[in-house]
Amino acid sequence: MNRPIRLASLLLAATMLAAGCGSAVNQTAAPSRPATPPSLATSLATATGTWAVTVMGGSAASHNNFWQLFVRPAGTSIWRLATPPGVASNGGLVLTGLASGSVLAGFRPSQDLAYSPLATTRDNGKAWSPGLLDAALADVPGALAADPASGRLLALLTDGTTDISGKGGTGWIRLVTRRALATSPAGTRCQPGSVTAAAFSPSGQPLLGAGCGRPGTAGIFSRTGRTWQLTGPALPAAYAHQAITVLRLTTTGHTTTALLGTGTGPAERLLAGWSADGGAHWTLSPPLPLNGATLTSASPGPGSSLAITLSHRRAAAITSAPGPWRQLPALPPDTATLAPAPSGGWDALAVHSTQLTIWQAVPGTNAWASAQVIKVPIPFGSSG
Amino acid sequence: MSGMNSGINVNDPTVVAAFKAALLHQGIIALLIFALLGFAWITVRAWLPAAPATEGVAGSTSAAAAAEPAWRRLLRIGFGLIWILDGILQAQPKMAIGLPSQVIQPTAASSPHWVQHVVNWAGTNWSYHPMQAGASAVWIQVGIGVWMLAASRGPLSRLAGLASVGWGLVVWVFGESFGGIFAPGLTWLFGAPGAALIYLVAGGLIALPERAWRSPRLGRVILDGLGVFLIGMAVLQAWPGRGFWQGTSHHQPGTLAGMTTSMAQTSQPGFLASWVTAFTAFDEAHGFAVNLFAVVALALIGAAFLTGHPRLVRPAVIAFTVLCLADWVLIEDFGFFGGLGTDPNSMIPFVLLGLSGYLALVPGPVIAAEPASPGLAVPRWRERVRPAALRQSVGTASIQTVAAVGALGLIILGAAPMAAAQASSTADPILAEAIAGSTAPLNFAAKGFQLTDQHGRSVSLASLRGKVVLLTFLDPVCTSDCPLIAQEFRDAGQILGASARHVELVAVVANPVYHQVAYTQAFDRQENLTQVPNWLYLTGSVPQLQHVWADYGISAEILPAGGMIGHSELAYVIDQGGRVRAELNTDPGPGTTATKSSFAVLLANAARSALRSS
Repeated sequence: MNRPIRLASLLLAATMLAAGCGSAVNQTAAPSRPATPPSLATSLATATGTWAVTVMGGSAASHNNFWQLFVRPAGTSIWRLATPPGVASNGGLVLTGLASGSVLAGFRPSQDLAYSPLATTRDNGKAWSPGLLDAALADVPGALAADPASGRLLALLTDGTTDISGKGGTGWIRLVTRRALATSPAGTRCQPGSVTAAAFSPSGQPLLGAGCGRPGTAGIFSRTGRTWQLTGPALPAAYAHQAITVLRLTTTGHTTTALLGTGTGPAERLLAGWSADGGAHWTLSPPLPLNGATLTSASPGPGSSLAITLSHRRAAAITSAPGPWRQLPALPPDTATLAPAPSGGWDALAVHSTQLTIWQAVPGTNAWASAQVIKVPIPFGSSG
Repeated sequence: MSGMNSGINVNDPTVVAAFKAALLHQGIIALLIFALLGFAWITVRAWLPAAPATEGVAGSTSAAAAAEPAWRRLLRIGFGLIWILDGILQAQPKMAIGLPSQVIQPTAASSPHWVQHVVNWAGTNWSYHPMQAGASAVWIQVGIGVWMLAASRGPLSRLAGLASVGWGLVVWVFGESFGGIFAPGLTWLFGAPGAALIYLVAGGLIALPERAWRSPRLGRVILDGLGVFLIGMAVLQAWPGRGFWQGTSHHQPGTLAGMTTSMAQTSQPGFLASWVTAFTAFDEAHGFAVNLFAVVALALIGAAFLTGHPRLVRPAVIAFTVLCLADWVLIEDFGFFGGLGTDPNSMIPFVLLGLSGYLALVPGPVIAAEPASPGLAVPRWRERVRPAALRQSVGTASIQTVAAVGALGLIILGAAPMAAAQASSTADPILAEAIAGSTAPLNFAAKGFQLTDQHGRSVSLASLRGKVVLLTFLDPVCTSDCPLIAQEFRDAGQILGASARHVELVAVVANPVYHQVAYTQAFDRQENLTQVPNWLYLTGSVPQLQHVWADYGISAEILPAGGMIGHSELAYVIDQGGRVRAELNTDPGPGTTATKSSFAVLLANAARSALRSS
């Protein structure tokens, strides 16, 4: 073999080896990431009933999974399907309570729909009236908030912008962009990443929750006049070097409840915080170590109660501020979220494909008993 | 790979029938080409006085034309037949729709993104014009094959080689994703580096000038190249961690057994499947031995080729032929069974290349060259193109030359419609026709209505008299089909160009819950319809809408549990006199870029037709 051929041979072999063997994946351990908001599955307690949101269908294709809204009217123990009609709910449903027990539901966009139709009910879901948000609601359970007193609404959008409506939920205008929030004096103290929750304070001030890039800082912003204030809560020194993310932010009556995720990896914990004065003062719960589990849903209940579900069928609840966290019995399989029970405890709502099972805790035991089963006529194939 | 797949069923009867019809029509034209050429040839020969029996265009000017050596004849005839076979395979009814989705896309799936990007461009073009592309592939490949078979010497023969190089390159890049050489799992056993690359090499050899035909170095070059390649493939085959050394891994077939398992499951005669299945079982049981044999065989054959000694090359060529045939039968499964086979894969081309290398290395007895014509001066090109000289050339051309020219006509027959189609940025309406079904012409008065447009103005059908109205029904909060239909309407308006001012694109809300003007406005913003001057999105009260729906046979059903409104997907073409001329099914089907464009063309054509009939 002469020299050029030898050279060509080596080149060819090298090329082939590079082509054939170059597919090895450089696997490195994923860095620990701060907590992220739970899924849209949640519940909402209003004066006239208890609501729950969950996804059903059990399909691998998102266009065959449909988010459903269930309601249990006050004074009854029976849940029923109350999903607003007229729009495909594949993208998700976001709930918020209005005045007098009315409820507003927002449809998250899906497939080619780029904006969010809204629906309001005053009669526990028997009839719905349409509304419109000409923008895409963010994929967080706290993407919609209402000020019952004024009827104004807050909407957190997919691009991190927050819009605010006029009274009665009409006439949406831009409240703040993520960039404007980040560059505000309050924002520079937090260095917010994504905006994760929106709420109104009891006095009707817009509140926004975010994950802070600056360790040890809880990113709850309050709008006062035309400026944003970082309203805490101030965390103990033990959290000074930990990433803090606001996972839920809700106001019920005169209490604003915040669920915070702290730390990453094995050090990840949940903290609940309560404020009765729009964020000026906070009461904090003891930390709840996650021990490797992930937060799957968070449900604010009446007053200052709060319940969360975790992976591995774990759940915990706080009956009233300031806690402590109470571990709930191991959840029934496929539990999607918890909802306040008429008796004062929590019902577990479990979904298997097209069937919703409501489980109630058996007093004095670690067991759950099936209380109701609802078969939902999922419209498979209707969304393309 | 967005856009490549048209999303239409490969067996769609509308497309299959249209493809067959296109092939039939072009086949008739092909026959006419050959008939006309033959007639012209016979006629000119009859007119001309007896001429010396020298070959015309294909090489008549060579004073001492060399006889074609055996290696070249083998390559020319072998690859000519393969090109014809490939052309016939391209005529499979499923090919027009199936080639992008079932051949190109799977081949490119494991390649890097830049390869997928390149291939996607071609696949999308094919999907936009499946009839023209499918037919062009048939005629170009048959044409190249006939050309190579017919033209044995001279410039026409060399040009046939170059045509093989050019089309082989197109097929290798776009059809075979560079033969998969940039994808993991590359192996000679599966056909690397792609059959079309070997066509390309063979075409290059056929295109060599006659003075190179008998060069003693040619055989060495062919065999050296093949030898280096085979050794490289042996190294690759021996490389650990690629799954070839194991017959099974974690109770799953190894790489080779996995491939043959899938090949055995394709549609084919039972005895062939049983051979492949038996080999799969053998490989699963003796994976290491099978791979060791492959590595050693490739390396030894490659090394023998590199020696260039006929005594070693001869048995190596025989071994190579046997190895290729075994691979072709037991691993490649003949290359074209099941699915949508486009060629017999790479082993037969490899055999032809190896044999031709050997024949070039060991030339047989020289066939007597045609006698030189003393005193016959080679004319200049200007003299050749004079009418008299051309008549002389045609009259003295051989039948092979006429056939070669006819083959060139076949290639043009295939390439010209495809080139013309490429000039259009819109897709063939056949895709939409396949989805929507046939439409019967109608002629009845359209029912009037008065609704509110997206700007809050009152609009009646009567107020649109004098314009062709494309009328459809859309749900403003629909998540899937309605946005696609709206885009098709918008694109139809653009296709209409200046005629669009005589056409009104009208949609009526098809949602009894979300029907307010705010929704039509939001929908228009979402679909970029706000700047379309002839777009109207009409709505009204629920009773008003229900009246219009009833008049036009539209149902709008509220589905429970988070389902969107289930409504009819129809469009009506209303002429300038207010008469319904056609009803179209607007179900956008898979909603790919090709089908959307195709629907837009269908709508634009319907509007043009109504404009003409008004």
